[in-house]
Amino acid sequence: MTRLKPEQLLAATHFDTDERHPHIVIDPVACRTCPSDRACELNCPAARYAWDDANDVMHFDHVGCVECGNCRLVCQRLHDGAPGYSWSYPSEGMGVTYQQG
Amino acid sequence: MSEDDDAFDVIVVGGGFAGLAAAYRVARAGRSVLVVERGSSCGAKTFTGGRIYAYALAELLGDEWHQAPVQREVRREILALMSEDGCVSVDSLLPGNAGLSYTVLSSPFVRWLAGKAESAGAEIICGSTVSDLIVRDGRVRGARVGDEELRASVVIDCEGVNPLVMERAGLVRMVDQRSIAVGAKCVFKLSEQEINRRFATVSGQGVALLGMGAPTRGVFGGVFLYTNTESVSLGLVVDSAGWRKRGVPLLDAVGDLVEHPALAPYVEGGELVEYGAHLVYEGGYRTLPRLSGNGWMICGDAAGLCLNRGFTIRGMDYAVTSGIAAADTAVDALAGGDVSARGLASYGARLKRGLLRDFATLDRGHEWMAGSSALFGVWPDAVVRAAGDLYRVDGKPLHPLRATMREATKEMGGVVSAALTLVKGLRSL
Repeated sequence: MTRLKPEQLLAATHFDTDERHPHIVIDPVACRTCPSDRACELNCPAARYAWDDANDVMHFDHVGCVECGNCRLVCQRLHDGAPGYSWSYPSEGMGVTYQQG
Repeated sequence: MSEDDDAFDVIVVGGGFAGLAAAYRVARAGRSVLVVERGSSCGAKTFTGGRIYAYALAELLGDEWHQAPVQREVRREILALMSEDGCVSVDSLLPGNAGLSYTVLSSPFVRWLAGKAESAGAEIICGSTVSDLIVRDGRVRGARVGDEELRASVVIDCEGVNPLVMERAGLVRMVDQRSIAVGAKCVFKLSEQEINRRFATVSGQGVALLGMGAPTRGVFGGVFLYTNTESVSLGLVVDSAGWRKRGVPLLDAVGDLVEHPALAPYVEGGELVEYGAHLVYEGGYRTLPRLSGNGWMICGDAAGLCLNRGFTIRGMDYAVTSGIAAADTAVDALAGGDVSARGLASYGARLKRGLLRDFATLDRGHEWMAGSSALFGVWPDAVVRAAGDLYRVDGKPLHPLRATMREATKEMGGVVSAALTLVKGLRSL
């Protein structure tokens, strides 16, 4: 079996994304002083979080998020709702739309 | 009973297994019920490993449950101990368990259940995310969707494993990270005949495989594979708190899993039709929240009603049965004119007579599994190596069986330690 890349995994899933309104918000610069060892990077099952070495910021893309809630628990700041960090579900039926489930 | 004419008897937050079971039951009792679902349709946000126990469906639907779009009846159970590139499996055929459980894809199933609830008289609005509960004079009186207020005598919360609405209302505490596992699953499409051939089964029947070992890299969790009618579900579940210490992105572990020599042949050539993930609550009996209060009850994943026993993982059946219990409690309370905390307290009593007995029995199970990391790495590895020794014939002098066993138990931390772990496990599971 040829190796499945993250993009291929997510390409199989149907999304109806609200491009303009991210349902999860982080502060990419404040993430420099992460108190959670950047657990989001390893624990996000959709690999939506990636540390950007060149710019020294956290890169997060809500497009492709499967709304599992793992980051809300492993990230101390999302967990506590720290300033600049918030987690909610997409509204109006947007976001991941499972066909198989 | 209701303060206003436009209020519902019951509002259900979330149209998944628990919410639709509750709504169906309330509607059947002749009460008005509204389900508010955040997905564009019911089933759009549900995600599961893929096996449901039929008793719960029979309790909800009677004989009609046979029309439900389940996938295959589970006839064979495979327990696989996996090393990085090897595997020792116990493949069981258990005729006494025929008809007890079925593989399932939750989206089509939940869509069907929504149809049943609507036929029974429930109203369902989709694409609407409840933002808050309406709380007045210490009692829950309905739910808010944006600016719109939806009023009801009773709110049954079935919003799933991230209970944001209940947290905002201060009615449940935020889940502790140590009580959470994350599951990720791929669904591969294959023809019905091809699945029958690969798994040596016939149409309508299939296989459930649970594996432990290398794929979770010593972290508490496991691998699962279920045969659907025309697809195979393959995924893994890992303890969230344990995983972050591994230094491997979860998605890489999924990539490795699909390539594992013991599993790859089952899905080879199949088109990947979906990938997704879902949290699994594993906090156990002592961490369960308050289950009801003034004008509200909480069911299913939102209440943490999920139980992992290692060889069985149950959530959907508990979602359905807790939904039934909440509905029956609401119907009685509405008839008796008391929807206060006291009027709804019998929900907890109903659960205690039912599913909470399982939670009490397994009270220490999660602790044992989460604390016995050797079970999820060293042990499966040692077993695969020992099996290799047993079967190896290469012209060299025979390796005595006692030496093989001695080496295996040494890897497992010595005979005494291994035996102690097992005894603890027997007591807690």
